[in-house]
Amino acid sequence: MEPEYSPTVVDHFERPRNGGHFEAGEGVIRGTAGGVAQGTMFVLSARIADDRIEAVRFEAYGCPHCIAAGSWLSERLVGLTREQLHTWRWRDADQALQFPLEKRGRLLILEDAVHALSEAWARLIP
Amino acid sequence: MTAAKTIYLDYAATTPVDPRVAELMIECLRPEGPHGNPSSGHTFGTRARAMVEKARQQVAAAIGARPECIIWTSGATESDNLAILGVARFHADRGRHVVTSRTEHKAVLDAFKQLEKEGFDVTWLKPGVDGIVRPEQVSEALRPDTQLVSLMHVNNETGVIQDVAAIGAICRERGVAFHVDAAQSAGKLPLNVEAMNIDLLSLTAHKAYGPKGIGVLYIRRRPPLGLRPLSYGGGQETGLRSGTLPTHQIVGMGLAFEVGEREREADVARIAALRERLWQGLAAIGGVELNGHPTERVAGVLNVCFHDIEGESLRFGLRELAVSSGSACASGSDEASYVLRALGRSDQLAQSSIRFSLGRFTTEDDVDRAIAIVSREVTRLRALAPHGT
Repeated sequence: MEPEYSPTVVDHFERPRNGGHFEAGEGVIRGTAGGVAQGTMFVLSARIADDRIEAVRFEAYGCPHCIAAGSWLSERLVGLTREQLHTWRWRDADQALQFPLEKRGRLLILEDAVHALSEAWARLIP
Repeated sequence: MTAAKTIYLDYAATTPVDPRVAELMIECLRPEGPHGNPSSGHTFGTRARAMVEKARQQVAAAIGARPECIIWTSGATESDNLAILGVARFHADRGRHVVTSRTEHKAVLDAFKQLEKEGFDVTWLKPGVDGIVRPEQVSEALRPDTQLVSLMHVNNETGVIQDVAAIGAICRERGVAFHVDAAQSAGKLPLNVEAMNIDLLSLTAHKAYGPKGIGVLYIRRRPPLGLRPLSYGGGQETGLRSGTLPTHQIVGMGLAFEVGEREREADVARIAALRERLWQGLAAIGGVELNGHPTERVAGVLNVCFHDIEGESLRFGLRELAVSSGSACASGSDEASYVLRALGRSDQLAQSSIRFSLGRFTTEDDVDRAIAIVSREVTRLRALAPHGT
């Protein structure tokens, strides 16, 4: 039996927002976590302006919950500061997307990607 | 999501009942139909009995057997269990070594696992990456104490055809009973149990445009092959399979097999052309590979793996299509198909494999729409994936 998907997950899976990536350049940061061999991978790229995230693009390899999480996150992270990115936790996504219990590990990978983004941001700051 | 009807491409899981078969079955279920117990001696019983015996002849004719060799069961799973457990247990004093392959249907695998628990020694043959078990592999596995070999004619996941005639000849020469699960080959390939040296053959109606819940075990009678029953009771089917015979089910299976054999060549030609059309359309997407032998396959089955796609997203993205990933019997598990893993596919490719199976009522429009849907989803999901995966 395939898992059940909430309407939010179905919406983001069928109509993902902000798929893709920003080319490396000024004010662009990137965070990666997971891997194809693991079955789940996220690559987040963001454009920074005025000490906040201005826009996000996502790439995701994984189940429909993961694709939806990438899409959902690409909107959720807009406007956040580096500190907010650093303290972001997976429960935020879980509340919105209702991952099944057995898929919670994938949310940790998502959290790792967000934190990798925050670390990339820290490296930008001279 | 569009409201368009889901396209059925899962004929290997089960087939719709042919309207001609349904009509005949419905007649049996009417108040004036043959509701008598086929074992009863009065006219109600004998009327039902006559229809059961006609169906027995229809199935026998479809496989080149004599009617008295046909035993009605509830389906191929029961036939497999009856053949494997029944023969092995009956002949246990002759030898306790039995042979099968790793890519059999679960009904066969689990019956052999039960034999292992009962102290039998099982040799599990591994097919090549093309899914074929070579006759030499069987020959090399046989020992003086081997009493049974069981191999499926057509693999339910890949559609790959085994050379059961060659293997049957080897077993016959060595005095070893040979069981073939033909659930996926009836109506698709010619079947002749005598010519193929087959001693036991499992059949089911629901993969051949008949109803679910009815099957057959062919058992060689000359010379007789001993078999211990699984169920005891009224002594029907010469004591080999007790239980009141379901006339309407049997009548349905009989007609389904008669029609199937009569229309086999025309059906196969049409379905093969549709399968080729589907394959060309899918291959054009790129990063798509066939699972199993490229030519030794039945016409209707196309099992392919998609590179750079995660399996669950692929399946969810293709929900406008009724298809299978792995066998229907194995669904409910997150594990990669054991058949595809045995053919050497990685976990990832096994999980991003889809089995398309076409049939009698598949149309060109079905195929073209399926190609469009698969192309759309595969392209979309690959575009979302991290580049360089």
